[in-house]
Amino acid sequence: MAQPSTLHRSLELAGTLPALMVAADRVAATVIQGVHGRRRVGQGDAFWQYRPYRDGDSASQIDWRQSARSRHLFVRETEWEAAASVWLWRDASPSMQYASLKNIDTKAVRAELITLALASLLTDAGERIAILGSGMRPISGRVAVRRVAETMVGETRDGGRALPSQPPLVPLPAHGTVVLVSDWLDPLDSVEAMIRHYASVGVRGHLVQVLDPAEEDLPFNGHVKFEGLEAEGQHTIRRVETVRVAYGARLAAQKEGLQRLTRSAGWTVHLHRTDRPPQTVLLSLYLAMADLRRLNAA
Amino acid sequence: MLALLLVLPVIFWLLRLIPPLPRLVRFPAIRLLIGLEPSEQTPMKMPWWLLLLRLLLATFLILAVARPLLNPQAELPGKGPLLIVMDDGWSSAPGWSTRVGHAERLIQSAERAGRPVALIGTAPLPLDAPAARKGALRPDETRTILRAFRPKPWPTDRAKAANEIDQLKLDPGTYVVWLSDGLEGPGADKLTDRLRKFDGGLQVVLPDAAATPLLLLPPNPEGRDLKVTALRPVADGPRKTAVQAADEQGRVVARIELDFPAASTKGEGVLQAPPELRNRMTRLDLEAQGGAGSTVLLDERNRRRPVSILGEQAAANGQPLLQEVYFLEKALDPYVSLSIGDRETVLNRNTAVLLIPDGAAPSATDRDEIAKWIERGGVAVRFAGPNLAAGGADNLVPVPLRLGDRALGGVMSWGHPAALAEFPTNSPFVGIPIPKDVRISQQVLAEPTPDLADKTWARLTDGTPLVTGEKRGQGYLVLIHTTANTSWSNLALSGLFVDMLQRLVILSRGVAGDGVNKSLKPWRVLDGFGKLGAPPSGAQMLPVDANQTFVPKPTTPPGFYGDENAQVAFNIGGHVAPPQPLVLPAGVATDRLSEGGETDLSRWCLLAAAILLLIDLLLSLWLRGLMPRAVRIGRSAPVSIVVALLLGLAAVAAPHVTQAQTTTVAAPAPEKPGPPPLTDEEALKGSLDTRLAYIITGDKDVDDLSKAGLEGLSEVLRNRTSVEPADPVGLDLEKDEPRLYPLIYWPITSSEPNLSPRAAASLDRYLRTGGILFIDTRDQQMSFDRSANGNPDLKRLLSGIEVPPLIAMPPDHVLTKSFYLLSDMPGRFAGGKLWIEAGNGRVNDGVTTIIIGSNDYAGAWAVDQRGRGVNPVMPGGEQQREMAFRVGVNLVMHALTGNYKDDAVHLNDIMQRLRR
Repeated sequence: MAQPSTLHRSLELAGTLPALMVAADRVAATVIQGVHGRRRVGQGDAFWQYRPYRDGDSASQIDWRQSARSRHLFVRETEWEAAASVWLWRDASPSMQYASLKNIDTKAVRAELITLALASLLTDAGERIAILGSGMRPISGRVAVRRVAETMVGETRDGGRALPSQPPLVPLPAHGTVVLVSDWLDPLDSVEAMIRHYASVGVRGHLVQVLDPAEEDLPFNGHVKFEGLEAEGQHTIRRVETVRVAYGARLAAQKEGLQRLTRSAGWTVHLHRTDRPPQTVLLSLYLAMADLRRLNAA
Repeated sequence: MLALLLVLPVIFWLLRLIPPLPRLVRFPAIRLLIGLEPSEQTPMKMPWWLLLLRLLLATFLILAVARPLLNPQAELPGKGPLLIVMDDGWSSAPGWSTRVGHAERLIQSAERAGRPVALIGTAPLPLDAPAARKGALRPDETRTILRAFRPKPWPTDRAKAANEIDQLKLDPGTYVVWLSDGLEGPGADKLTDRLRKFDGGLQVVLPDAAATPLLLLPPNPEGRDLKVTALRPVADGPRKTAVQAADEQGRVVARIELDFPAASTKGEGVLQAPPELRNRMTRLDLEAQGGAGSTVLLDERNRRRPVSILGEQAAANGQPLLQEVYFLEKALDPYVSLSIGDRETVLNRNTAVLLIPDGAAPSATDRDEIAKWIERGGVAVRFAGPNLAAGGADNLVPVPLRLGDRALGGVMSWGHPAALAEFPTNSPFVGIPIPKDVRISQQVLAEPTPDLADKTWARLTDGTPLVTGEKRGQGYLVLIHTTANTSWSNLALSGLFVDMLQRLVILSRGVAGDGVNKSLKPWRVLDGFGKLGAPPSGAQMLPVDANQTFVPKPTTPPGFYGDENAQVAFNIGGHVAPPQPLVLPAGVATDRLSEGGETDLSRWCLLAAAILLLIDLLLSLWLRGLMPRAVRIGRSAPVSIVVALLLGLAAVAAPHVTQAQTTTVAAPAPEKPGPPPLTDEEALKGSLDTRLAYIITGDKDVDDLSKAGLEGLSEVLRNRTSVEPADPVGLDLEKDEPRLYPLIYWPITSSEPNLSPRAAASLDRYLRTGGILFIDTRDQQMSFDRSANGNPDLKRLLSGIEVPPLIAMPPDHVLTKSFYLLSDMPGRFAGGKLWIEAGNGRVNDGVTTIIIGSNDYAGAWAVDQRGRGVNPVMPGGEQQREMAFRVGVNLVMHALTGNYKDDAVHLNDIMQRLRR
């Protein structure tokens, strides 16, 4: 996997999901300009309101232009701003290194692409980002994207060591946000433990489930011996077509379980197939994050 | 071995029982699969096509082991050795390979039965034949001898063969097969009797109709043509065969058909050929027969010589019956190519024989020239007459002549006109019958000299020479001692005259030497297949008296005799008896020559099994997922491959079946009518960014200006509006798809070729689906010239497009307010009108699809890198350029937002109404 090209592609991808499109949406005013106002007076650059001068206000706060229009002195107040910190994590375990067709990305490549594109969007919006569990401090700006990319490259280049398929459980400050990209095929118990760990401290989260088309459709026929990618062993099925429905039910149950877990924690889950373009999931993820902010702000 | 086929059901059962190995698939979501049990509990079965393939494989193997034979040969009767008697004379060449094949199969049968084989040919061996072992030999030894067998170019000698069989001292129980040529001949009964003495049995194999030998006879001249005759042994219905004539190099120069009437054994045809061609022919061959008997070699006797007569053409109004030239012409004309003229004319031509009648009276110069010509190989024949008798110093005669002439039986003479004596043996006229009624009444006499007798070729009964001849250099000088007309004799009226002249013509080119007729040594001889080759050592001279009963034999094979200068052809045809069908005594078993050999099929079975094994291997690999991904083509592919291959194996010579199969598989779905699909690259380029587009007209200046203009407009749009267009693109309507672009700028040039139907259709589609075409005729400065008919190029270029009715843009049109408020629409030029679609919101939500302006807008928009205009604008200067940019912005806004601004102008009213 050529990391520079992944970085490049993800930047491109972020570019193709232009801030303009989101701006068309109602949330644009609060989200896309990067600094989301708290709709109350505070530290910030954006103008919020004028108010009559009161004793104790600094003379430098007086807006002379406005004051000149009337007989009263007016003070210019700015809106209170708060940039959020987002911790990103993507599954780099061996089971992600899978693509059923030659011309589509592996799940791992797609997961990194989404992560980086999201990082790019978030830093454009002024958020601070970090890789979950890397010990990196959340930072903002274009350099953050590069740091995120470098961290991911560093993790995967560390060959031989199989990376875990579950996000690390590290203490995070309250009101942080995590975005977790994985195939989420692990038992729901472990997922539930992870969500509970973060939700308990008030961290909001968004799961992205990256699945290969073969994992969704089980397109095999006849006598097939399946072998897992993480030493789960082998399983032989005589006629795969007979178990396709049952498999679909299990997969649906897994997705349903994810939905249930995330909904109870106030999180969201987004499904992505590697044979579809990544923009859609990125947009829905982005909108979901913007929506959450609006909810929080309201 | 075929009993092994009984094992097939067992194999079938076993194969059904043993499932194929599963494919191995790496699958991340295996956790979801673990524990899933198939709802069906039937065991995994082998696919039917694989089962069929493997059963077929086993069947082929079993068949191969059983050694199948196609057309098996019957076993030989008896137990003793096998004697094969082959007729290998000239008549065996047709169908020789079949004959040898038949003998080979007999030997093969004997080999299988372990019986010795003796092989004997009935024709005498050639002189240079190597000594071969005789008697009953091992079959493989006999096969070697058989392969060296060739047909001989002479007839069989069956009586001699019967004697040879006696000497072989074969076992009395020998089984005999006589591969006969089907012809009767001397000694045939003797051989039959000898062969019947063997106890083992006799089978006579006769050739079928195609291999029945035909005998081609030497052609007879028939006037200017050659009459070609061939003989067949049995008159078995009408038959046609072709004869072709070839020249020395083997090129076919003529071809005729011979017709055998139904009840005749003789087929005839007339070979018409101009003298040049006829003289080039060296051989005639029966087509599709081959062999010495169907070849006739041609020599000088069959050719037409160029003969000239010295003198003048017989005058039409004269008395032809008195003129010598007339008689000579009549005597020679059909047989030679004749020309008449003076000495210079005739000697300059290629002349073989020069006839000098007495009336020609050659001058001394003529005589010298003619003498030189004779030295070089010409034959001159002089006729006596009053002129010659008058004498003088005429040395152009073979013998010195007495002055004056001798008249016999005249009024003053006691004698009677003399008849001709027998021709002397040194004469070229030997063999010509002498008619009794030829009388010579007047002649010139030769001086008696010692060599007169040698030079005399014909004499009268009283011994006086009538024809004298002398070899001079390479040629001959001949004197006929009487006239060529009837004044001195009636020789010119007889057939003898014609015969004698023909012999003299043959003399030319010196067929015969001094003695005219002599024994000739072989020069090129025919082999049994009719090919010419060098004579074998020991071949003998062809005797002088080789007449029709002289049969070709090993010492004198047919061919050319003589030397490289002159040859005589000695053919089989005419020297052997006409072919007659073989008469066999009753009770002799007969058979026909047959081609059909047995074929060992086991190797083909093995090959089929090997191929199937290979397919099975590939399929097994495929089933287990070990093939490269590229090979995995769909689920139904293996089935169709197997079906195709099985069909191909079933009909080996039917490759089209396989092809048909693959075409069925690969047949594309019928194409739906509609726009051609875009490539991803095109689609991405056009759709990821908003771009302005212009049509490439082919005029580089105009195209560059369009590009620069749209770049300038794009820059203005980026600076002033929320539209952020990427770089403009040029559209080649023949190739590019316009539907990705909201606004297309089209400058009209007179040099742009008419739109192709494809381009017009693509533009039409673009306009119907909501595109806007901004056409700029750029001719505002000359529009006053054209007010009547408009721009002719515009009409021409738009002729393929469905243009809606147009109106001049009304002053309140949305174009005037979509971004800026504009009162007029200047470009590089001011004034002029914009023409827009007339329909009021009928289609496309009221957005016009075609805008036609004439103000050269791109010229106004084009700016250089520092943002300064490239072209001057008239008459308003930079302010007008600014207005032109505003026009462009409005255009783009109209294209992108449609009639939104039309509604937006009512916003105040709406707001007021809402407030209330």
